[in-house]
Amino acid sequence: MEITAPVEKATDHSHEPVTASVRKPLVTGGKTIHDVTKDICGPVEAAPPKTWLLAMGLSSTVLLVGLYALLMTLWEGIGMWGLNKTVGWAWDITNFVWWVGIGHAGTLISAVLLLFRQKWRTSINRAAEAMTIFAVICAAVFPVIHMGRPWLGFYWALPLPNTFGSLWLNFNSPLLWDVFAISTYFSVSLVFWYIGLVPDFATIRDRAKNKISKLIYGGLSLGWSGGAKNWERYESVSLILAGIATPLVLSVHTIVSFDFATSVIPGWHTTIFPPYFVAGAIFSGFAMVLTLMLVTRRIYKLEDYITIHHIELMNIIIIVTGSVVGIAYITEFFIAAYSGVEAEQYAFTNRMTGPYWWAYWSMMTCNVISPQLFWFKKIRTSIAATFIISIIVNIGMWFERFVIIVTSLHRDFLPSSWAMFTPTLYDIGVYLFTFGFFFTAYFLFAKFFPVINMAEVKAVLKSTSSKE
Amino acid sequence: MESNKNFVLGVFNDEDVLLDGVQKIKGGGVNIHEVFTPFPVHGLDHVLGYKRSKLPIAAFLFGLTGTILAITMQVGMMTVDWPMIIGGKDYLPVPTFVPVTFELTVLLTAFGMVGTFLVVADLKPWAKPKIFDIRQTDDKHIVAIDLADNEKDKAELELILKNSGAEEVKDKKFD
Amino acid sequence: MKKQKTYWKGIEELTKSPEYLKYAEKEFPDYLPIKEGKMKQDDNSDASRRDFLKMMGFGIAAASLAACEAPVRKAIPYLNKPVEVDPGIPNYYASTFYDGGNFASVVVKTREGRPIKIEGNKLSNFTRGTKTPQAESSVLSLYDKQRFKNPLKGGDKISWEDLDKEVKAGLASAASVKLVSNTIISPTTLKAIEEFKAAYPNAEHIQYDPVSADGILTANEATCGKRMIPSYDFSKAEVIVSFGADFLGTWLTPGVFAHQYGQTRKLNKNSKMSRHYQFESNLSMTGANADYRQGIKPSQEGLYVATLYNLIASKTGKPQLSISSVESSEHLKKAANDLISARGKSLVVSGSNDSNIQAIVNAINDALSNYGKTIDTDTPVHLKQGSDKAMSSFVNQAKAGRVGAVIFFNCNPVYDYAGGSELKEAISTIGLSISTSDRPDETNTIVEYIAPDHHYLESWGDAQPAKGHFSLSQPTITPIFNSRAASFNLLAWSGSNVEDYFTYLKSHWEEKMYPAVSGFPNFQTFWDKSLYDGVFELKNQPSEESEDSEAVAFSFNSGAISSAISNSYSLDGSGIELALYEKVGIGSGAQANNPWLQELPDPITKATWDNYLTISQKMAGEMGIDFKESNTKTVTLSHSGQSVEVPVLVQPGQAEGTVGLAIGYGRTNAGKVADGVGVDASVFVQVKDGIRHWFASEGVSVEPTGNPYRIAQTQTHQTYMGRDFVIQETVLSEFQKNPSAGRHSPHIATWTSEKGYKSPGDITLWNGHKYNNHHWGLAIDMNSCIGCSNCSIACSAENNIPVVGKEEVLNRREMHWIRIDRYYSSSGDTEDKSISGLRELEKAADNPEVTFQPMMCQHCNNAPCETVCPVAATTHSSEGLNQMTYNRCIGTRYCANNCPYKVRRFNWFKYHDNDQFDKNSAMNNDLGKMVLNPDVTVRARGVMEKCTLCVQRIQAGKLKAKLEKRRPVDGDINTACAEACPTDAILFGDMNDPKSALSEHLGIVQEEKRKGVKNPRAFHVLEELSVSPNVYYLTKVRNKDLEDTEA
Repeated sequence: MEITAPVEKATDHSHEPVTASVRKPLVTGGKTIHDVTKDICGPVEAAPPKTWLLAMGLSSTVLLVGLYALLMTLWEGIGMWGLNKTVGWAWDITNFVWWVGIGHAGTLISAVLLLFRQKWRTSINRAAEAMTIFAVICAAVFPVIHMGRPWLGFYWALPLPNTFGSLWLNFNSPLLWDVFAISTYFSVSLVFWYIGLVPDFATIRDRAKNKISKLIYGGLSLGWSGGAKNWERYESVSLILAGIATPLVLSVHTIVSFDFATSVIPGWHTTIFPPYFVAGAIFSGFAMVLTLMLVTRRIYKLEDYITIHHIELMNIIIIVTGSVVGIAYITEFFIAAYSGVEAEQYAFTNRMTGPYWWAYWSMMTCNVISPQLFWFKKIRTSIAATFIISIIVNIGMWFERFVIIVTSLHRDFLPSSWAMFTPTLYDIGVYLFTFGFFFTAYFLFAKFFPVINMAEVKAVLKSTSSKE
Repeated sequence: MESNKNFVLGVFNDEDVLLDGVQKIKGGGVNIHEVFTPFPVHGLDHVLGYKRSKLPIAAFLFGLTGTILAITMQVGMMTVDWPMIIGGKDYLPVPTFVPVTFELTVLLTAFGMVGTFLVVADLKPWAKPKIFDIRQTDDKHIVAIDLADNEKDKAELELILKNSGAEEVKDKKFD
Repeated sequence: MKKQKTYWKGIEELTKSPEYLKYAEKEFPDYLPIKEGKMKQDDNSDASRRDFLKMMGFGIAAASLAACEAPVRKAIPYLNKPVEVDPGIPNYYASTFYDGGNFASVVVKTREGRPIKIEGNKLSNFTRGTKTPQAESSVLSLYDKQRFKNPLKGGDKISWEDLDKEVKAGLASAASVKLVSNTIISPTTLKAIEEFKAAYPNAEHIQYDPVSADGILTANEATCGKRMIPSYDFSKAEVIVSFGADFLGTWLTPGVFAHQYGQTRKLNKNSKMSRHYQFESNLSMTGANADYRQGIKPSQEGLYVATLYNLIASKTGKPQLSISSVESSEHLKKAANDLISARGKSLVVSGSNDSNIQAIVNAINDALSNYGKTIDTDTPVHLKQGSDKAMSSFVNQAKAGRVGAVIFFNCNPVYDYAGGSELKEAISTIGLSISTSDRPDETNTIVEYIAPDHHYLESWGDAQPAKGHFSLSQPTITPIFNSRAASFNLLAWSGSNVEDYFTYLKSHWEEKMYPAVSGFPNFQTFWDKSLYDGVFELKNQPSEESEDSEAVAFSFNSGAISSAISNSYSLDGSGIELALYEKVGIGSGAQANNPWLQELPDPITKATWDNYLTISQKMAGEMGIDFKESNTKTVTLSHSGQSVEVPVLVQPGQAEGTVGLAIGYGRTNAGKVADGVGVDASVFVQVKDGIRHWFASEGVSVEPTGNPYRIAQTQTHQTYMGRDFVIQETVLSEFQKNPSAGRHSPHIATWTSEKGYKSPGDITLWNGHKYNNHHWGLAIDMNSCIGCSNCSIACSAENNIPVVGKEEVLNRREMHWIRIDRYYSSSGDTEDKSISGLRELEKAADNPEVTFQPMMCQHCNNAPCETVCPVAATTHSSEGLNQMTYNRCIGTRYCANNCPYKVRRFNWFKYHDNDQFDKNSAMNNDLGKMVLNPDVTVRARGVMEKCTLCVQRIQAGKLKAKLEKRRPVDGDINTACAEACPTDAILFGDMNDPKSALSEHLGIVQEEKRKGVKNPRAFHVLEELSVSPNVYYLTKVRNKDLEDTEA
C-alpha cells in the first residue's frame, strides 16, 4: 500500500540495525507479527495433542514411582540409601549438583545473551528459563531430603531466631552459602521469567474466548496493556535484572563448587573448581535445553522459530564449554601430580585406575570426546545427532559429579576406612522422582504458557525474519 | 481523571510507520494520551518525550540495603551475639562472609526493583486494564488521543491520524 | 392430727426467701463461675449448664490433645530414698567377674541402683585393674531378657520349695551323683561342695574347662611335682618365645599378661624393650605383636619346641632330645641365641594341650633358669584346673548309663565339651539332671530341673584366682528374677540349715581368712575392708596340701618325651591342617549372646558376627577364591565324618597348609543374638586318650562349594599403602641411634618464610584460640597398643553406642566411636607410587608385620568438620574438645565427609525402640535399657555422633574437684578407653597442666599460636593438613634387627 514510502525513511529511526542481509534469518517461513501470535498462542488455546498427553502420562507415572521411594526414605531414614560411614554423599549430592548445573542455561541464555544483544536468544529463552526454574526445584529437593532430619533441617538452615537461645548459623559453611545462593538464584530467575511472561499473558488474555482463561490469564498478566511508558520501564527492569543475574549465575555454581573446594578431602580440595564447575554447568545446561527444545519443537511444530541456525549456535557453545571442561580435567591431574601431595596424587590415580575407573572413563568419553563431533558442520546441523549428543553430554555430566564425589570419598586418607558405595533402589527412585517432576512441570508449562517469548520475537521479527 | 471517557484511536501496524506518525501527530500539537504496542518499540519513548525511568536508582538503593543487611546479620550472629570457636577460625572470619553478602545484595536488588516497577507501572493481578483495541497485544500499535485534553475536535484529530499513517482510525468510549 | 417432721436444706428454705425460691428447682446452682459471663446476655439458666458442658467438652478435648504431645514416660520416685543412693550420683562397688574361664577383679559403677559399667579394680595385685572384653560386657548380660525368670521343671515354672523337695528325693535315691562344673575358684563354693559331697557320699565333683590347660597341669606334675599352673611374669622377660600361646588375647589370664607385656614395650624411660618371638599356625593377636613371627603347622609344634630345647640344651649342658630337629628355621636359631643371652630374663610358653610339649617348655625355662624369676611356682594360678581325663570318663559313664543324677553347675558341656553331642543323648537317660545356669544354653534345654543362679552382679561370692589372692563379689542390684545362688542350692540340697548364702560366705571368711590376718580389731572391720577393696591378699598362705613351699627338684625324662614327640609330630605333614582358636571377643562362647561382643571387630580380621575359615593367600589362590570388600565363598570343611559349610577369610600370616577356625560360635540355644551366628567348631576338637587337642593334623579336607558369602568386616583394606603420614614406625636399633627415627615431618614450601620451608602448622590465615583453663588431650603409644579392643567395648558401654547388627556392618555403618585400625605390611616398595606400585602396595605380605592404630575423634583445634556444619551443631569447646550438639544436628553428613580420619558416625536408622534392630538389646527392651548410661544421650535417628573424649566424665571430674574447692588434678578424670587399656597405651590428661602425666609424657610446650611437643616419638596423624589434633601418637618401634626388616 501507500505506506511504503515512510517506511524507507522511518528505518533510519529504527535503533535496531538491519542485519538480515549478513546474518542468517532467525525466524523462517515469512511470518507476520500476527502469525507469531497465532502460532504461539495456538497450542495454549487448543486442546492438547496426543503426543503431549502421552508425554504427560509417562512423566507423571515416573513422578509417582519416584514419590514412593522418596516417602520411604523420609519414613525409614537415610539408611535406605547405599551410603556408609566413608561415603556420606553419593547420588543425593551428585543429583543436586547435576540439576543445579542444568539450571544454569536458562538464566544464562536470557541474561548474558540479552546483555550481548544476541537476537537469536529470543526464540529459546522462555523455555530455557522455565527449564531453569524446574531444574532448580529438582536440585533443591536433594539438599532437603538428604538430611538426617529434614523436618528440622529445612528451617534450621535459615537465619531464624530459635528455641536454643542465641544459637545462630555457621556462616563458614559452604552448605549455608548454598542455601543463600540457591534460593536467591531460584527467586531471581523466577521473577525474571515472570516479568518476561507478563506481556505474553496479556496477549493470551485478549485472545481468550472463555471466562476462566480470561480470568486466569487476566490475573497473570497483572493488567498489562502495553503502554509505551510501561514498555520503557519494562525494558530497563529486564536490562538491570539481566545485569545482576549474570554474576548471579556465575556465583551459584561457584558456591556449589565451594562445597568441595573448601574441604580437605583429596580430589575435592581443588582451587580450579569454581570456573570448572561453571563451565560444566553451562555445558550441561545447554545440552538439556537442546534436548527439550528439540522435543518441544517437534510437538508444537515450531521449526520456523527454533531453526537449525539456533541449534547450530547452541552446539557451538557446547563445543566450547565441553573443551573448557576437558582442559579442567587435565589441569586437575597436572596440579595433583605437581603438588607432590601423596594422598592427592593417589586420589587421581584411583579415579582412573581404581574400582570406579568405569565412571571416570564414561565421564571422559561423554564430556570430552563426544562434543568434539560438533566440529563437523554435518553433525552440528543434524537434529538427530544433536539430540543424541545432548543426552550423552548430560549423562557424562552426571558421571562427572559422581566421580568427584564418590571416588574422592571412598578412598581418602586412612586406608582403614576405605569403602565402596553401591546404590540401592531408593537412590535410583529418588532420582526418578526429580525426573518425573521436571518433565511433568515442563510439559504443563509447554501446554499452558507461551513457550516462546512473543513480544521479543515480534520485536526482532522485522530485522531477522526471512521471506520464505 | 474523570475526563478519560472518549478517545480517538489510530491503529498502526508497522513500528517504523508508528514512530514516524507519532512525531507527525505531536508536531500537529496533539496531546497523545498513550501509545499501546504489542512489543517494545525502541525510540517510541523519545518521540513521546518520556523521561528515562528512575528504576536503576531504586535498584541501587535496594542493593545497598542488601549488602548492609547481610554484613550486619553475619557479624551480629557470628561475632557479636554468640561467638563460637569454629574450625579454629577467628570470631570475625571476614572472608567467609563474602558469598552470603553477595547473594543477599542481588536478592534485594532484584526484588526491590521489580516491586517498585510493579507499583509505578500499576501492575497487579486484580487490575482492570483499559483495552482500547483488542489487537494492541497482538500485532497492532494503537495511538490513543483523549478528546478531553485536546482543543481540536474529533474530526480534526481523525484527519491528523490518517495523515500520519494510521491505517485505521476509530473512536473508543469508556463508561 | 399428726405432725410431719420437716427438714430444711438451709435457712433460705425455712425463710422461703424469693431469690431462694427462684433457684430452688434448678439442678445447677447459678453461682457456678461459668454462669457469670452468661448472665449478661440472657438469663436462661439452661445456658449455664450447656456452657458448663461445652467447656467441659473443650477441657477434655484440650486435655486429650495435650496428652498426644509426648508419650508418658515411667519415672518412679523412691518412696523412701536408700541412704547410699543419690539420684545422679554414681556408686561404685568392688566385685569379681568369673565366667568359668575369665577372671577379673572389678569395680561396678551403679546409677540409681543399676549396674551400668564394669571397670578394673586397680587394688588387685593379681589383675592390676585389667579385665577382658567378656568382663567389660558382662553388665549387659545381666539385663538379658532371655535369663530364666523362675526355677523350672521340664520347662514349667516350679517353686523353690518343691524343687528342693524333689531334687533332694532324687539325689537321695540316685546311685551315683555327678557334680559337673568349670574350674571353681571360690573357696566358699568349694566348701559348699565339700558339704554336698558329705551329704551324698556317692557324689563326685568333676571340673573341666571349655578350653583346657590340662597339658600344663600334667606337665608341671611331671616336672615340678605338682599339678598346677605357675604364674608367669612377662614384665621381667626381655626375650619372650611363644609357641601358639595367644597370651595377650585368650591364654590363661590374658589381661594380666597384657599388662606385664605392655611394660616391656614402653620406651619412655629407658630405650630398651622386650623381643618377642611367636611360632603359630593362625595369626593371633599375640603373633601380630611379635617382633619375629613364623607360621608353623600344629603337627610341627612339638619338633619346633624340641629343637629349641636342643639348641639351648647344647649350650647349657642339658641332655639332648633325640628327635628330627628343625634345620630350616632361622627364627628358631635366633630365638635360641637371644634366650641364652637373656637367661633368667626370658620366658618360653606354649598354648599346646600336649603335656609333652609343655614339659619341654618347662625344661627350656629350667635350662634358662627362669624358674623363680619369670615363672613363680609358689603362687600357682587356680584357673583352668579342670581335668580332661575326669571329664571324658564322666561322659563315658553317662553314655554307659552309670550316672544316677547329674548337676551341671554353671557349665554347658553339651556345647563346649568335645563329646558334647554324645553327652546330649546320654543326659536324657540320666534319672535326675539339674542345671544351675541362669540363661538358656545347649545343656539345660534337655535337663529336667533348672535352678537358675544369680548373675554375679546380683550375688555374693568370693574367688581365689591364685594362691594368696582373694577377691570378693557383692550384689550391686537386687535379683531381677526369681533366682538363687548356685552354691546355696548345693547347701539347700545337702540339707544344711544356713538361712542364706551371705552368712555362709561371711562365716567361712571369719573362720578361714580372718585367723590368718593380723592388724584388724575384729572380724567386721576386716570384712568391711576386704569388701570395700574387693580384694584381699594373704602372704604365705597356709595351703590345704601338706607338703608345699619347699621347691621340688626339676625332673625331666628326656628319653620318654623324645619318643612321645617323635611319634606324634613330624615335619613332613603334607595335608591341610586345622587349627582351632578362641576369638578375643567371644572366647569359648559362654557369653555369645552378648551383642557387644558379637559386634566387637576381631583384632586381626576386623570381622564381626561370624566365624570363618582363615586360609593363607596362597591357598586362596589355589582355590580361586577372591576375597575382596568382604565378599567371599564358602567351603565344606570336613574331618573324620564331621563336616560344616563355612565361609573363607583370606588371612595373611596364616601358616602355609593350615586353616584356622574359631570356637565359640554356632550356638543353637543361647538366645536371639547368638543363635545361628557362625558354625560350631567344637565338633573338630580331637580327643586323644582323654586329652582334648584344638587341632586336627590329618584327614582335613577343604572343598570349595562356590556359594557366595559376605563376612561383615569393619575394615576391608589391608595395608596402609606405605603412607608414612598415617603410620610411622622404626626398629629399635634405629630408635636408639635417633629417637625420632621413623618420624615423618612434612614441610611446605612457601615464599613468605625466609628459610623457604615451613611446618604446616605455621601456615595459617587465623590467629588461633588460646585454651586458658584446660586443654584436654590424648597420647596413644602405638608400641604398647596390642589391639585387644578392650577400649572399644568400654566405649560402647560408657557411651551407649548402638549395636547395628551384621547387615548394617556389611553396609559399613558400624557405630563404634573408637576403632582399632589394623594394617599389614606389604611386600611392595613403599616408595613406588606408580600405578603398578600402588597395586602391589594394596596386597598384604604373606607373613606381614602388623600395626595397630586406635583411631577416634582427634579433637582437632582446626577441625574441618566444624567449619562445614551449616547449623553450628559441631563446635569447639574452650577446653579443646570438638563437641557435637545432637539436638542441633540436622544430619547433612558434611562433617563426616570432611573428616580426614573418618571417625564420625551417623544414625542411619532409628536404632532404639525399633524391632528391626532387636539385637541391639541395650536399647530395644525395657530390661536391656537399664544398662544405658544416663549421663549420655541416646542419639536420635538422623544425627551425627562421635567420640566426645568422655565429656561426661570430664564434667563429673570437674564437679568433684569443684566441690572439694580445688582444680581437677591428674587422675581425677579418665576416659573409658584409657581406663580400660590393659597396657596403658592410651593416656588422657590436661595439656595445660605441666604436672600431668600427659604433659610430661609428650613434653608439651606452649608456642605462641599452638602447642608443641618435645617427645621425639610423638606425631599427629596427617600432620600436613594442619588440623592440629589434640590426640598424639607415638611411633611404633619393632625390636628387629635392621637386616630382618622386610617390607
